[in-house]
Amino acid sequence: MTFELFVQSAIIGLSIGAIYILMALGLTLMFGMMHIINFAHGAVYMLGAFVIYYFFHLWGIPYSLAFFIAMILLGLFGFGVERFIYRTVKGNIEPTLVALLALTTLLQAAGYPVFGPLDKNVPSVFRGNYIIFGTPISAERLMIIPVAAVLVVALYLFINKTKMGAAMRSIEQDKEAAALQGVNVNVVNAMAFAVGFSLAAAAGALIAPIFKLDPMMGEQPLLKAFIIIILGGLGSIPGAILGGLILGFIDSVVATAVGVELAFLLSFVFIILLLLFKPNGLFGYEV
Amino acid sequence: MKSKIGIAVVLLVVVVLALFLPNFGGRYYTQIFVQVLINIMLAASLRPSLLCGQLNIGHSAFMAIGAYASALLAKNLGLPFELSLLFGGALSAAVGLIMGYPSLRLRGVYFAMVTVSFVEVIRLIAQLWVSLTRGMSGLSGIPKPSLLGMVLTTKASQYYLALGLLVIILLILYRLEYSRLGLIWKSIGMADNLSQSLGINVANYKLLAFTLGCFFAGVAGAYYASFFRFLFPPEFSFLLSVNILVYNFVGGRGHFIGPIVGAAFLTLLVEPFRGSAYETIFFSIAMLLTILFLPGGLITLPGKLAGLWSGSTGSAPATSAAT
Repeated sequence: MTFELFVQSAIIGLSIGAIYILMALGLTLMFGMMHIINFAHGAVYMLGAFVIYYFFHLWGIPYSLAFFIAMILLGLFGFGVERFIYRTVKGNIEPTLVALLALTTLLQAAGYPVFGPLDKNVPSVFRGNYIIFGTPISAERLMIIPVAAVLVVALYLFINKTKMGAAMRSIEQDKEAAALQGVNVNVVNAMAFAVGFSLAAAAGALIAPIFKLDPMMGEQPLLKAFIIIILGGLGSIPGAILGGLILGFIDSVVATAVGVELAFLLSFVFIILLLLFKPNGLFGYEV
Repeated sequence: MKSKIGIAVVLLVVVVLALFLPNFGGRYYTQIFVQVLINIMLAASLRPSLLCGQLNIGHSAFMAIGAYASALLAKNLGLPFELSLLFGGALSAAVGLIMGYPSLRLRGVYFAMVTVSFVEVIRLIAQLWVSLTRGMSGLSGIPKPSLLGMVLTTKASQYYLALGLLVIILLILYRLEYSRLGLIWKSIGMADNLSQSLGINVANYKLLAFTLGCFFAGVAGAYYASFFRFLFPPEFSFLLSVNILVYNFVGGRGHFIGPIVGAAFLTLLVEPFRGSAYETIFFSIAMLLTILFLPGGLITLPGKLAGLWSGSTGSAPATSAAT
């Protein structure tokens, strides 16, 4: 592997890692508060990409506006899922997980008749290349990194500086005690669903101009996000960020060296070994 | 007393139907009924794990291991069907043991996520190890099943083989569930902390339930390989794993009969849509409706209807989660 190739794949790894981080943050936030894993996260990512396809590509709305539309629409969808699925089977983690699984397969399968059987393409938004250390990197891949960074910082500020964020952290510590202090647990949980869903939608919207769009496109990033949050420790936000960077690196640099599929197999073996020796992940706590 | 007679009548009808099914319709129908039997094997073998409160979303991976292992043993080494079936199950159980040991010591969600990823791992291995599995060309030319040296050539005889296999598997699982072991599994499913405090080695019993399920999934896969005689990696996808879970939840988790009812009902119901996107849409909607409106599954439906009929609000006897 030459130096140029390494630099190129490292930067692409960073951009892929940024997408994984956006996915993993929502998952880990929702897990921390409700102890559920949102299996529908990959489907939400897919829907985010398709919002871009319809609003930006077919209906000609500016990309930045379509990006916010994707986040808002799927955020509202998150509210709905909390209200009609999570709240209906509340208190039972297992049925919630299975209902979310069913929602995932429903959205994926419904995608074929609704969006059509062929793969979709969205034209690039940011054209051209930047030269970094003598290697050209496409602008649209590079743009993912600052956008994701802004969203991560915004999430950090939201959780640590706002009243709603404080309510989320209190539920994460102790749901009953939070309710006793006057936190409306249902509303705050719905907010966590909305935030998680809109982050996944943002990830899908960012990737739409780069990858082909099809109803199953969310499955791979979801599996990667699972590996990331196991790696970083469930419920840990710094863990999700570090895990995302590690997996983005594996996905790009290792994949360039040995192949995409082998890189995935290696990351799985790595996870099994990690669980053997450090069962709660790098930053995890006993749950 | 009245319900006992009812159960006996239903059982008798099922047995008679099961025995005479291949006589009704042609090869196509026999194939559908074999598919029903295989799905019941898979659904029932997931039940011990579910009893312990472990959400295993990777069952199709273990079916794939059993299918490929037995098919390759029978095809390349000429092993008799009975042996390759057992080896397929054993290899599946061994892999389950290796994978379950690190992940089952943790809370359920870690395990669920590991099993989801594992489906992808097995599918990729089946796809990439072309020299062994033929990859995406699919593995064909798998020998037909045989019994004591006799090759079963007709679809009807293969149906009876599946029926026999299913009865054996169900008897074993039934005996285990209604033994001390089954009680321990249920106690872990209800409150693992409490079970641990009573001196039950929770991790080991979870591992036992999971490995047992893997063994029977492998056996089901081995039979699948010999019946359809063609293996294709994408068949063993995440979707199949979800379906196996769905059989359990739609049928009802409250009783041993639940996964059997769920698998039979759903397999027959979606048969007209098989292979199209509507199959999955149908499945998912059935699943969501069951979880939201009939948490006890289909097996609680007669009780609920009877309750409505007599005007009382009494709920069905089998609603409680893990009895």
